[in-house]
Amino acid sequence: MTSDQTDVLVIGAGGAGIFAAANASKMGAKVIVISKEPSGYGDTRISLGAMCRSAEGFFDSSEKFSRDMIKGGEFLNDPKLVGDLVDEATDAVIALEDCGHVFERNSSGVLKSPLGKFGGHSHNRTVMSPAFGVSMGHAIRGGLARSGVTVWEETVCAELILNEGEVAGAVVLCMKTGRVKSIQAKSVIIATGGAGSLYYPHTDCMPYVTGDGYSLALAAGAELVDMEQVQFIPFALTHPQSMMGVIVGDGSMAQPFGKLLNGRGEVILKNFHNMTRAKLAMIMIKEINNGGATEHGGLLFDVSTNMKIPILKTVYKNMMRRKAAHFLRNVRRAYGRDAAEFKEPWDVLPSAHYFMGGVKTDEFCKSRVKGLYACGQAQGGVMGGNRLGSTSLTEIFVFGKRAGTAAAEDAKSRGYPDGGAAKNAVKRVEGLFGRKGKTKPVHLKKRLRELMWKYTGPLRDGEGLATALDGLAEIKRDSSELAISSFRRYNTEVVDAIELSHMIIAAEAIIISALERKETRGAHVRSDYPDTEDTTTPKNVVVRQTEGRLIATSQEALP
Amino acid sequence: MKATISIQRYNPETDSEPRWVEYHVPMQSGSTVMECLNYIYENEDSTLAFQQGCRFNSCGLCALMVNNKPQMACVAKLRDQIKIAPLKGMSVIRDLVVDRTAYFNMLRELQLYIPEQEKTSIPAKIIEPQNRVELLQCVECLACNSTCEQFVSDGEMFAGPYVFVKLAQLHLDPRNDIDRKSQAVKLGLDKCVDCGECRCINGINIQKLAIELLRIN
Repeated sequence: MTSDQTDVLVIGAGGAGIFAAANASKMGAKVIVISKEPSGYGDTRISLGAMCRSAEGFFDSSEKFSRDMIKGGEFLNDPKLVGDLVDEATDAVIALEDCGHVFERNSSGVLKSPLGKFGGHSHNRTVMSPAFGVSMGHAIRGGLARSGVTVWEETVCAELILNEGEVAGAVVLCMKTGRVKSIQAKSVIIATGGAGSLYYPHTDCMPYVTGDGYSLALAAGAELVDMEQVQFIPFALTHPQSMMGVIVGDGSMAQPFGKLLNGRGEVILKNFHNMTRAKLAMIMIKEINNGGATEHGGLLFDVSTNMKIPILKTVYKNMMRRKAAHFLRNVRRAYGRDAAEFKEPWDVLPSAHYFMGGVKTDEFCKSRVKGLYACGQAQGGVMGGNRLGSTSLTEIFVFGKRAGTAAAEDAKSRGYPDGGAAKNAVKRVEGLFGRKGKTKPVHLKKRLRELMWKYTGPLRDGEGLATALDGLAEIKRDSSELAISSFRRYNTEVVDAIELSHMIIAAEAIIISALERKETRGAHVRSDYPDTEDTTTPKNVVVRQTEGRLIATSQEALP
Repeated sequence: MKATISIQRYNPETDSEPRWVEYHVPMQSGSTVMECLNYIYENEDSTLAFQQGCRFNSCGLCALMVNNKPQMACVAKLRDQIKIAPLKGMSVIRDLVVDRTAYFNMLRELQLYIPEQEKTSIPAKIIEPQNRVELLQCVECLACNSTCEQFVSDGEMFAGPYVFVKLAQLHLDPRNDIDRKSQAVKLGLDKCVDCGECRCINGINIQKLAIELLRIN
């Protein structure tokens, strides 16, 4: 068995993981970062590249920014984490430019602000990237290359190693060689992003975000918070099949005269440009469930009225070109030029976009397990029940830095833990190669994704969630009899099997959290509990593993 | 409707050379190469190795050769009788998957980044030339290298269009402190014969924006 040693191991190399790794290295720690994709190729890179900075100017303040986030998050946020994001947002902007990024500036080189506020903000705090997230990708890859961090690309984490309740490292599969390795680490940072892939193709996230970090954290003894809070972006493509789920925008694009029509051409909604993403997505799914869908399974988003008023037409077009160019490109590719020019309605359906829930940590990104940290989308508590526009890119850099610094500091006081427990974990992964069962892992992944979309999407109810739990139990049973090839080199069947094991746990955490929250709050909408409980005592739903079982409980949210 | 396609399969560990395998796959109007690869993976042969990502031409992971031309599998239209192979001139891990890690290592070895700025407030002014913004559209799919004859035949002595795009990005960055033009010469820029065949899937004019810019006048 090969074993490597490091002070800090970072799992995931998107924006959060790279910042965690680079900052831990800056503190003098020896760092390994692993990533399923090439480094920096995650959701950060395919994003819009819009990022908020701290409150500035006479009219805005940190208090107002925090209030926006907590009100938007429907009081589920951890106020301390919110405070850190609000205070350190501008530092994150500076740090990203330090890696080589340049946020959009005017011709004299001064930072430009976009037209209008981003969703949920009372003030304009968002800066844009010149070539969307792709330009951020260049910066974070450059920042990682500049650091002294050891980088293992195309490497997937199967299990964390524990020693007397503390994190002692991880067992990973290097996809290129097929070699299973154990890494002894004094601290481990989970930066694996969300789990949009649980809803594939109904997601605009990368297919690799399969909730690995949620599952790894639970197995290690950490808690997850508010996993039922999955944000669905209301408008994503419905066809062609190959582009289903790809993001094209949200309700704010309707202003002022946008309409939503059903498959029969009846107007079902007007004046929704200030509606939350959750409410809009819920109304859409309700109409679709009532038989109102188009032939492609979506509804029609129509802004042609905005185009009929000459003055408005120019303003609207200019605004969309600046704020939504990223989306218009997708619309043009799928539906053609007239649609991208707003002359024809778009066929749209909600799509899983972001996970507000995640690993419960303190403000230094530390979980309740010694040596285990989480940052970025994998971390919970920052966004509460709803995320404001352009806050997630800020989140990954603020908390990436915090996690890296704290984990490196922590590692200083610890010796290399006993990695003896790795042996069995390595054996388990080795045992996947050449399994002679009945079902291919990819088929179970598909079944799980269909189940998640059907029962845990933008509109949920107790009966459906119970059905989902039964379906999940069957998938879990079938996953004990997998059929997997035995060759070593880039064996994606083995990767599927590892991802499936994480997806099953992440899915269970979502379902039991959704069952536990018997109200409608934030992104979690239940048709059997349509009201929000008294907002003076909101509760967080916390999941932990006890005696091999996942348990969800409600805890009073922090004031 | 069905399409017959050929895919180049290769496991360097066990095969002496790549081989072509034929598949019959369903085809509808609008079907893409990626849909067909997933169809094969799910229904016929889950040992087929390929990469996929965002599905909207932005992540660069699924670049491959269709009929000897680089394309993104997620948007390339599926047609009857096409031949699908890995990016040309790259080291193949297995089937359609190429070794991208070599390129991350190159960022490090060639110092393809800016020095630390150590700023405590947002720099009041950074003038970013428009041509740098155009070069930043590069999604690092590496397909351009496959269109360059010089690179495909002599990758050892000639770094290829991708690296020249990175060097040009940095040359235009006001914070850059390394002579990128000399670096380009050391990496074989003089061997570029100006054939103009280098193509970017997303339309960056590599010849004009990178090669010509880096030439020492």
